[in-house]
Amino acid sequence: MAEMVTILIDGKPIEVEKGTLVIEAARRIGVMIPHFCYHPKLKPDANCRMCLVEVEKMPKLQTSCSTVVAEGMVVRTNTPVVDEAHKSVLEFILANHPLDCPICDQGGRCDLQDFSHRYTPTGSQFTDTKRVYEKGFFSPLIEKEMNRCVSCLRCVRYCDEIMDVKALANAARSTMTEIVHFAGHPLDCEFCGGCVQICPVGAITSRLSMYEFRPWMMKRADTTCGYCGDGCSLILETRGEKVIEVMSSHGNGRNNGDLCAKGFFGYQYVNHEDRLTTPLVRQADGNLHPVTWDEVLPVLAERLTQIKLAHGADAIGGLISARCTNEDLYLFQKFMRLAIGSNHLDSTARYGHVNAARALRRVQGTNRWTVSYEDIVQADALLLIGTQVTAANPIVGLKVKEAVKKHGATLLTLETLVPSIETTSNITNLSALHVAVPPGRHAAAVRGLVKAAFDENLVDAALSSRAGDYVSRIRAAATALPYPEGLDEAALRAVAKAFAGARRGVILIGQDLLQAPGGHESAVNLLDFLLLLGKLTQPGWGLAPLTEENNEQGAVEMGATAEYLPGPADVGDAAARTQIAGAWKDQPPASQGMHLLEMLDAARAGTLKAMLIVGENPVRSLPLSAKAASALEKLDLLVVQELFLTETAKLADVVLPACSYAEKTGTFTNSEGFVQKVRPGLEPVGDSRPDWEILSSLSVMMGYPLEYGDAKEILKEIRAVIPGYRVLGAKPEPAQVAAKSVEQYLTRGFAEDLPARYSAGAAPKANSHRWALAVGQTLFHSGAMSTKAQGLLELQHEGKLIMNPADAQRLGIADGDRVRLTSTSGEATVPVTMLGRIPEGTLFFPESFREALAGLPSMTPDPVTGVPYCKQLRVSVDKVGTGGASSGPPPARIAGGK
Amino acid sequence: MSVADLVKTFTFYEILVGMKATITVFIQRIILRNRKAITLQYPHEKRDLPGSYRGMIALLKYDDGVEKCVGCDLCEAACPSRVITVISAEVEGEPAKRYAKEYYMDMTRCLFCGLCVDACPVDALAMTKEYEWARYNKRDLRLDKPQLLALGDRNFPVREKKLEFQHPNVAYFNIGHKNLPHKAS
Ligand code: SF4
Ligand code: SF4
Ligand code: SF4
Ligand code: SF4
Ligand code: SF4
Ligand code: FES
Repeated sequence: MAEMVTILIDGKPIEVEKGTLVIEAARRIGVMIPHFCYHPKLKPDANCRMCLVEVEKMPKLQTSCSTVVAEGMVVRTNTPVVDEAHKSVLEFILANHPLDCPICDQGGRCDLQDFSHRYTPTGSQFTDTKRVYEKGFFSPLIEKEMNRCVSCLRCVRYCDEIMDVKALANAARSTMTEIVHFAGHPLDCEFCGGCVQICPVGAITSRLSMYEFRPWMMKRADTTCGYCGDGCSLILETRGEKVIEVMSSHGNGRNNGDLCAKGFFGYQYVNHEDRLTTPLVRQADGNLHPVTWDEVLPVLAERLTQIKLAHGADAIGGLISARCTNEDLYLFQKFMRLAIGSNHLDSTARYGHVNAARALRRVQGTNRWTVSYEDIVQADALLLIGTQVTAANPIVGLKVKEAVKKHGATLLTLETLVPSIETTSNITNLSALHVAVPPGRHAAAVRGLVKAAFDENLVDAALSSRAGDYVSRIRAAATALPYPEGLDEAALRAVAKAFAGARRGVILIGQDLLQAPGGHESAVNLLDFLLLLGKLTQPGWGLAPLTEENNEQGAVEMGATAEYLPGPADVGDAAARTQIAGAWKDQPPASQGMHLLEMLDAARAGTLKAMLIVGENPVRSLPLSAKAASALEKLDLLVVQELFLTETAKLADVVLPACSYAEKTGTFTNSEGFVQKVRPGLEPVGDSRPDWEILSSLSVMMGYPLEYGDAKEILKEIRAVIPGYRVLGAKPEPAQVAAKSVEQYLTRGFAEDLPARYSAGAAPKANSHRWALAVGQTLFHSGAMSTKAQGLLELQHEGKLIMNPADAQRLGIADGDRVRLTSTSGEATVPVTMLGRIPEGTLFFPESFREALAGLPSMTPDPVTGVPYCKQLRVSVDKVGTGGASSGPPPARIAGGK
Repeated sequence: MSVADLVKTFTFYEILVGMKATITVFIQRIILRNRKAITLQYPHEKRDLPGSYRGMIALLKYDDGVEKCVGCDLCEAACPSRVITVISAEVEGEPAKRYAKEYYMDMTRCLFCGLCVDACPVDALAMTKEYEWARYNKRDLRLDKPQLLALGDRNFPVREKKLEFQHPNVAYFNIGHKNLPHKAS
C-alpha cells in the first residue's frame, strides 16, 4: 500500500498517494487547473507555465504539473495572483496566435479557446507582428499549422515516449519553436494519430476529416475497433450517414486512449461507395441482379430446405469471418447446427488461432490468456516469438514498449525482423537479446528453447519430482534434437536463461509462429517450456497468443468451428452436449464436422452441395493452389453475406448485404479475453442488415425459428451458455490455469504426439529458390477491408516487396523497380522497396495485397488442426524493370517538401 | 387616493391616452374632413423601409467575386431555429482553405432574428430589405447557396474589398496553400 499524504487544495482536504502531482490531486476533487503541456500519459515537462498555482510557504508560484504533493501542503488555484498569472501566460501565447478559430478544426474543443474564454484576456500589450510560418507539406493524413502551435511539445513527447517512433522534433527556439519532422520527404511515421489527438490546440489535425465537422454536430458511439485482436475502444464520430472521424479517450479501454493507424485512419471503408446495398440474386442470364429482401429470403429458404431434403443436412456447410460480432458468430453456429442440422462450419480463426486455442485448452484447460495487458506491462521479462507485434498488434506493441521503457523489463525476441534505425519503430531495437529467425523457422526456434531449458538446467525441481516421467521423456525428446541450424545457439540459450530468471514473464506469440507449419505443436511446446520452468501456474506468467482479426477469440468461444460447441467444448463431449441441448431444447448434430479445407474438398468431390459464407472471402484468403474458386463454383447453391462484392461473392448465387461493425450492436472478444461492446454509429447502409438478423429471418422461413428481438437477447443466451461470458464489463475475472487439466497433461496428455512435437520437422526443402519470402501484416493494412479505406490507401496503396538494402544493392535494384518472383508453383511480378529491418536473404510482402502474388504461394494444411499454411515460401528473384508509374505516390504530393 | 387620481378614474384618462392616435385620426379625418390618404396602394406603392429592416438573408461576396463565407458553421450554431445547414470543405484547387461547399437556409423556419448575421466572423451574411417571398410550394423557401448569393448580389451591389493579407496582428486565416496536396475524398 502506497504511503498517503494529505494536502489542502482550495480549502478542501484530500488524501493521495505520495508522489502524486498537484495537478492530478486537484483533478480528483474536481478542480481543473488549466494546462497545455501536462498530460497524464507523459512525463512532466513543465514548459508552458499555464498550470501555475500558489503553494503556501513557497515564495513563487509553482507549476502544478511538476510539483509533487507533500504532507500538509496548502495549494490555492483561484486567487487573484494565480488568475493574473494565467491571464498573462495566455496573453503571451495569444501574442502570436492567429485568429483562426473559424476555420480551425479544433474550434469547439480547443483548450486555448476554452481558457481564453475563461480568463477573457481581451486586450493585448503586444504590438509586434505575429509570427507566421511558411506553410509546408507535412503528410497526406496529418496536417500541421504551426501558427497555432503553443509549443507544449506534447506531440513530440508522445511520439517518443509512448510510440518510440521519434518522428517529430522541435526546432528553433523560444517563440519561434516549430514542430518538424525529418526533412526531405513527407512525414513517414506509424500514423497512429496520437499527435493529432494529444495536441491541445489545432496545430496538428487530421486531413481526412478536415473541415467536415464541428465537434458539436457529431454523434458519438463508444465502440470497439474492428481490425485486430487488441480490442481498442474507440469513439466513432458521425454526422448524418457518414463517419467523420475516430477518437479515443485517455483512461478508457484496453488501449488507454492509444490507437494505431488502422483504428484512427482506417474508418472510411464503412462509407465506401462500393458497399452492397441490396440483396443480389443470380438470374437466368447468369448475372447478379438486385432484388428485395422479401423476394430473396423465401426463395433462399426454400432452396436450402430442398437441398437438405434431397441430399441431407450434411450437404450444407458454413463459413464465417471472425470479424463478426459474438452475436453473429453464435447465431451462425446455432443456425448451422439446428436450422440446417450440419456440423460443417468454420470461421476464419481456422487460419491460425485454432492452433493456439487448441494448445491452450489441451494443457491449461482454458483457451484464454491467463495474463492480461497489465501483466505484460508489469512483467520483467517478455518473450516475443514471431509476433511482428508493432505491425500486427500495435497496441500490445505499445504495452511491450511501456514495459521496457518505463519499467525496465527485459525484452527477448525471436523474430524475423532485425534491429535497424528507421522512421518507424522496430520492437527488436528494444530487445535485450534478439535471435533472428528466418520465416518458417520459428517452430524450430521454439524446440531449441525447450532444449535450452534442459541444457541450462532451468527445469523446476518440484516438477521433476512431481512429474518425473513427463520431465524425463520431454528431456529425452527435446535434447535428442540438435539446436536448429542457422540460429544462434548461444543466444537461444541465453534467452531461455534470462526468461527463466525473471520474476514475472509473459510469452507473446503471433502469426509468424501460428500460421506456419508446426504452429500447433509449437504452442504446446511453449506451454511445455513454461511448465518445465515451473511458471505456468504462477500468477503473472503465461502464454499469450495474439490474434490477427478482432474476434478470433470470440469465434472459438462461440463454437463457430467444426470441432467446438459454444464454450468452447468439444463436439463429442457428452456433458457439454447435454448442457447445450438443455439450453437449445434440441440436440446439436453429433457427426464430426468438416473444417474449411475439408469442406472445399467435399465441394470439389460433389458431396457438399451448398455453402453459406458470412463475411469471408476464401477465394482471396487462400492461395490459387487451394483452388477455392473452382470448388465453390461446383456448389449448387452459394450464399454470401458481405459488405462488398468480393471475389467469393462474385461466384455466389445469392449475395446478401450485411452491416459493417459501425452499424451493428454486439460484442467483440479481444485476444486477452475481454468482451467489449460494439455500438452502432450509423444506420445500416442501404438495405443492409446485421448478419444475425439475416440468419434469424432465414431460420424463421425454414421453419426452425431462432427469433431474437435484438442482439442483446442473443448476448443474454450466450451469457447463460458460455461460462466466460457470465461476468462482463471492465474487469472480468481472468482465466485460471485448471489444475486438473495440467495434471492430466503431465500424466498422460503430453505423450500423445510427443515424437511429432519434438522432431526436427521437414528441413527446408533444398531447391533452387533461395530466398525466404514471408507474407504478413503491415502497420497500415489488415485483410482486404483496409484496402477500401481511403486513408490507409494514402499511406500504402500497393503491395511492395520489401528487401534488405544490402540485398537490393547486390542485385542492382532501386526503390520502385520491379522484380519477378518465381516459386515452385508460380510466378509474379511486383515492385520492390527496401527496409533494413528485413534481414538479408529474406523478403516480406504485405498480406493485404496478396492478390499481386497470385499463384506464387502453395498451401500445406496442418494434419491435425487443418490450418492452411501458405504464408512462408521460397522464391527466386529476378529484376525485370526499373521504377515505373506505379511506384509511390505521384510526385506532386512531395512538392514543397519541408 | 388623491383628487387627481379620482378625476383620472372618472374620466377614463388611461383609455384616452391609449386611444390617442385613434382619436386624433378620428378628429382629423371624420370631423375635420381632412381626406389625405394614408393607405398605400401595395403592391403599386411601397413603403420606405428603415435601415435596420430585417428581410431575407443573403450571402455576400468580396469585390473580386470570391465568396466571403469561410464555412465556419458558426451561423448554424447560432441560429435558434435550425434554419441553416453548412457543409464545409476545402476549396477546390486551394488545399487547406475552407469554404462552404453547400449552404442551405430553410426560410420557412427563420425568425429573422439576425443572430446568424451577428455570429458570422467574416461578415458574409447580411439581411436584405427583400420581403416579397410568398410561394405556392414551401419547398421553394429552402434556399441553396446560389440563391443566397444571388440575393446578396441583387441587394448589395457595392461589395467589400478583399484584403489579400489581413493585418497580421488582427487576423490571419484562410489563405490558400498551393503547395499542399489535395485532400483525398
Ligand atoms: S487552436 Fe484553438 S484557439 Fe487556435 S485557432 Fe484553433 S480553435 Fe482557435
Ligand atoms: S503541435 Fe500541438 S502538441 Fe505539438 S507542440 Fe504544438 S501545440 Fe503542442
Ligand atoms: S487495429 Fe488493433 S491496435 Fe489498431 S486500433 Fe484497432 S484494435 Fe487497436
Ligand atoms: S435570422 Fe435567426 S432564425 Fe433566421 S437564420 Fe438567422 S439565426 Fe436563424
Ligand atoms: S458564420 Fe459566416 S462564415 Fe461562418 S458559415 Fe456562416 S456565413 Fe459562413
Ligand atoms: S502544464 Fe504545467 S507547465 Fe505546462
